[in-house]
Amino acid sequence: MSDAPQIAITVRNLKIGYGTKVILQNVSFQVRHGEVFVILGGSGCGKSTLLKNLIGLYAPIEGEVWIEDGNFLAAKDEERLRFLRKFGVMYQSGALFGSMTVLENVRLALDEFTALPEPVKELVALAKLKLVGLGAAAQKLPSELSGGMQKRAAIARAMALDPRILFLDEPSAGLDPVTAAGLDLLIRELAHHFGITFVIVTHELASIYKIADRVIMLDSRTRTIIAEGKPAELREHAADPWVRRFFNREADSAEAAQPK
Amino acid sequence: MQVSLDGCARVALRGRLDAQTVVVCWNLLEQKLRTSKINVLELDASSLQFCDGAGLALLRYLNMGKMTPSANVSVLGLELELEKLFLGFTSGDYEAFRSTAPVQRHSLPEEVGESVSHTAADLREQVAFLGEIMANLPPTMLDRKRMRWPEVRRIFELAGANAVPIVSLISVLGGIIIAFESAQPLAQFGAQIYVTNMIGLVMVRELGPLLAAILLAGRSGSAFAAEIGTMKVNEELNALETLGLDPIRFLVVQRITAGIFLTPLLTFYATFMGVAGGVLVTLGLGFPLTLIYHQLVSSVHLSDVALGMAKGVVFGAIVSAVGCLRGLQTQQGPSAVGISTTRAVVTSILLIVIADAMFSIIFFSLIK
Repeated sequence: MSDAPQIAITVRNLKIGYGTKVILQNVSFQVRHGEVFVILGGSGCGKSTLLKNLIGLYAPIEGEVWIEDGNFLAAKDEERLRFLRKFGVMYQSGALFGSMTVLENVRLALDEFTALPEPVKELVALAKLKLVGLGAAAQKLPSELSGGMQKRAAIARAMALDPRILFLDEPSAGLDPVTAAGLDLLIRELAHHFGITFVIVTHELASIYKIADRVIMLDSRTRTIIAEGKPAELREHAADPWVRRFFNREADSAEAAQPK
Repeated sequence: MQVSLDGCARVALRGRLDAQTVVVCWNLLEQKLRTSKINVLELDASSLQFCDGAGLALLRYLNMGKMTPSANVSVLGLELELEKLFLGFTSGDYEAFRSTAPVQRHSLPEEVGESVSHTAADLREQVAFLGEIMANLPPTMLDRKRMRWPEVRRIFELAGANAVPIVSLISVLGGIIIAFESAQPLAQFGAQIYVTNMIGLVMVRELGPLLAAILLAGRSGSAFAAEIGTMKVNEELNALETLGLDPIRFLVVQRITAGIFLTPLLTFYATFMGVAGGVLVTLGLGFPLTLIYHQLVSSVHLSDVALGMAKGVVFGAIVSAVGCLRGLQTQQGPSAVGISTTRAVVTSILLIVIADAMFSIIFFSLIK
């Protein structure tokens, strides 16, 4: 694995928006392999939109996204498919296919993209489910699972082909603290023991402190990145008072809420 | 990969064991292991450079003795992290999965019984729904605030006014087709002029109401089911309930009212266009308009028109009520709304035909 590139994702000068409306601009950052990288920001600042641009669902107005050493957004057809297999995505709602059992959801990519023998595919899928703690739910339909279980099943599905990068959209939103902590532990373990790179969109402070190696913070006023670093450092030393308030979970004071 | 086989077998794995190489290994091992008698199998993974989920799955498969049922299989030399991952999914987990058997298939009598009980339950629900509508319709209609007339107007436009083009086209073409098809056999008896009588009666009494109702079921009954069904899936119906608003009063009554008022109009329009299509053909056959008019007036009576309109009212109530009922019955899951719309259209058309038959029987016995 030593021959693999050190940089997982490079984002250069991304400008994103809908139509002519610009949501974020001048967004540049790098994510190293094995790192848990968190994209932060207040509600409505464009975190999820940025994620959708990174994974190629939306096309940015300008800028580039490189995955390892290839320009992902410029890739077409077969080449694009090769890029897509380098990462997995967990959507906010889980987005499991409702007509398939959980096991079939996880197996889908294996069935489509590998020539593995049947029993091996089944074992791979079962092992992924066991890894996320859903071994007993393999035969269930997504609608029979709770929200937290659906998210974990979605992580298992994203991991089916052993991608080196996982994108997670709001993994702990709507989960109880115990389940959310379990998910944090899982992310930590996958990152540290198996070298999986995580790019996570969230605003759950508690889990950011536990899992994040590095965070970037987006701001809806300046429409760009206003802070980058380790969460503990940002809490103490961020230049922008709003960033410090965010990390210390303080409400906007009356004065700060006034338009300048 | 090297395989040396004696009394005990030892498989040394080298290099990368990933989704591609596992396929190769599998075929090789199948050939060598299945054919020989092995009591002890050792898998040496100490020279593995890379091993992913597929590789571990292969090791686990071999470890469970699936290829060598009588052998004692051990996996040696796995890296610490891989070992941890390997032990994360044991043969016990696999057995546990196997024991959770998928849904058992039922025998024929069971299936029949289940389907009969489902149908009975559905009938019961339909009757209960009818009762609820009957109880809610008059009081809500009289209460201006509760009735939400703007909503009725919106549905009226959506299901009625917007349906005019398609109803025109199908009715005119229907009239033309029937006129042409009947003109030829009637010509053999020199009775071509009676094409007009037939078109008049058929359109006014039967086809006008039927065409309007079936188009309404396809266009709007399905839309009602989809709309209310999506609301149910999104928990909007629960929100109404907890706000103290009865979905029947809030959503269903408006749709049924619109259906009852708009279907007779649509029926009248469909009838008119159908007759116009027939008249066009008879004009083309060379009959003067005054003669056609006289034929029509002498054959179609006011009672026939009244019957057509009455059918329109009943069909409209059926289509909108069934659409709403199927929407309210929507289950969870991605295919649920699709199932509801299908059921709305199928049930609507079935009930329309049954109602039409009953109309015929009643009318026949009345005239006798």
